[in-house]
Amino acid sequence: MIRLSQERTKTLLAIHGWSAVALGLLLYAVILTGTIAVFAKEIADWSSPLSTHIADPFPPGTDRMVRDFAASVDPQFHEEAFFFPRAGNRLYVFFHRHETDEDGKPRERGVAAEIDPRSGEILDRREGTDADIEATDVANALSEFIVGLHVNLHIPDPWGLLLTGVLGLAMLVAAVSGFVVHRHLIRELFTLRRRGETLLKARDSHVIAGTWNLPFAFILAFTGSYFSFGSALGIPAVAMVVFGGDQDKLIETLVGNPPQVDATPAPMADLDAILADVRARSDAEPTFVSIQHWGRADSLVTVFMNYREGALTGPTYVYSGATGEFRYAKPNLGLVPSTGGTLFALMAPLHFGNFAGVLSKTVWFALGFAGAYVSITGLLLWTQRRSEQPIWRALARLTCWVAYGLPLSLVAAAWAYFPARRIWPALEPVMFAAFFGAAAIAAILAWRLRDPARIRDILLGSTGLALVGLPLLRWMCGGIGWIDAFNAGLATVIALDLAFIGGGLFCLWSLRPRPAALIRTPASQIEAQKA
Amino acid sequence: MTSASPADTSSRHSLWSRVVLAGPVVFAVACLVMAGSALWLPAGPAQIDNLVLPILLFPAIWAALFFCACLARRLTRAWIFIAGIGLLHAALIAQHLLHSAP
Repeated sequence: MIRLSQERTKTLLAIHGWSAVALGLLLYAVILTGTIAVFAKEIADWSSPLSTHIADPFPPGTDRMVRDFAASVDPQFHEEAFFFPRAGNRLYVFFHRHETDEDGKPRERGVAAEIDPRSGEILDRREGTDADIEATDVANALSEFIVGLHVNLHIPDPWGLLLTGVLGLAMLVAAVSGFVVHRHLIRELFTLRRRGETLLKARDSHVIAGTWNLPFAFILAFTGSYFSFGSALGIPAVAMVVFGGDQDKLIETLVGNPPQVDATPAPMADLDAILADVRARSDAEPTFVSIQHWGRADSLVTVFMNYREGALTGPTYVYSGATGEFRYAKPNLGLVPSTGGTLFALMAPLHFGNFAGVLSKTVWFALGFAGAYVSITGLLLWTQRRSEQPIWRALARLTCWVAYGLPLSLVAAAWAYFPARRIWPALEPVMFAAFFGAAAIAAILAWRLRDPARIRDILLGSTGLALVGLPLLRWMCGGIGWIDAFNAGLATVIALDLAFIGGGLFCLWSLRPRPAALIRTPASQIEAQKA
Repeated sequence: MTSASPADTSSRHSLWSRVVLAGPVVFAVACLVMAGSALWLPAGPAQIDNLVLPILLFPAIWAALFFCACLARRLTRAWIFIAGIGLLHAALIAQHLLHSAP
């Protein structure tokens, strides 16, 4: 039990409530999309699988694929390259040079390819800046749309990142103040009054979900605001003070691979041999390969590894690109272990929950879902307690619109993705149109119906039906069927199809009459209970 | 027509002063602390701690200053403390930039 004066408890309660009221709906949008984005790689694999399961995205022959592609690329883009597996374990390769845009911000320009690792066939080739190449990505478009909503709400940088950073800070405030104001923390972990007034039961559900979720909410809020502010504010600010604004110099110093300039042309070493060597050195698998100065004597190949068994960080190995000689192993940042480097390495696994594969991702998904539930029930409790005032009744309708309209809009974007991917080269505008179209319809319903229970029923029912139909739509638009997917070992396709059908049926099941639900309780009844 | 009592007016001013301190002032000071502490934090064995830690710990810096601004019993002291930290780091940054200018 945390002892506070009455005055401080009141202040913290006010901070807890008002921070949620001011930013709760946007926070819910970021939490919900983040919860789904935990499975971004699986969503990409599900929406754009290759015809068979690719167990090893860096098979023998990777060297030939990258080398052949490099030969087809203008040498001005050989300054840097990286390759890693993307949707369906396609090998994504990007040769590029660094430049600054009109506003002086660093960006990359070059040529990217998606390669089938089984045959070496180039499935897609795109040229331009990193943003142009991302915008015309078909295979990863659906997962990137969801990730973009989570990262910056699709608002141009740095404003989107600053906004999500502020939302992260609001979540941090809610988590800390929630921890302090719940005086009987241990008891509240297990208190759920099943027989009692509606408001009390709703409060219990909110508190029990929030209390169990507190450590996780704190971790997500902290790491999330770090990710947003780090790139939008932290790197430019520290670069301004220490390196006179040179962000590339800051990143170069942090990464710790000092450039030893030698532009003498030199053939590249065998990448297959380097990949075999990293596998022999570690029990982890490679995840990302970066190559500086392709085809030069000073070329460096850096191989980032996945998490080791039972560890939250993976090693990084550096090789000479010209000779293939092993140079050194290093942490993600710096050349030797350090406090800053270790903390940095912990941020990604703690935020993405990907350190133990699908198991940890499922736990992160469940905890994220609980966080979304807490943010919405908190707002509903706030508005129900003040339901005699029109402004709070309006906020209750707005909450219903966002709470149930956002999932519907996300599913609508997926419904647009599958038919459109065969026709349009740039899918993001099409998904945006479907997303905002569904959101607009939901807003009209919320405005016209006024009764939160009816708004919820219609939106939740529509979401349920759309989710149940999504696997069918995927299949009708040329996607692989279940029998073929089973034979090809594409378990992700079947698993996500079943998850969407299960989620849709759960939405429809939630529509059953429940007289005690907070959202269905008339304000007059709640007032009577309060009295 | 009723006019607000002096106590009400003082309380409202105090509330606004706290809101300004906990909102834009704390955010600006947290940014100054993040940028300025890169100049005085030890670099550590990898020579990067002074660059990485301020960026990593920005949410913690902000949260500490925010709760200090919200919960301080004496608002004037909170203003002096937070503004002092901000000015100190602003001075450090200014001195560094002036000395490193060509």
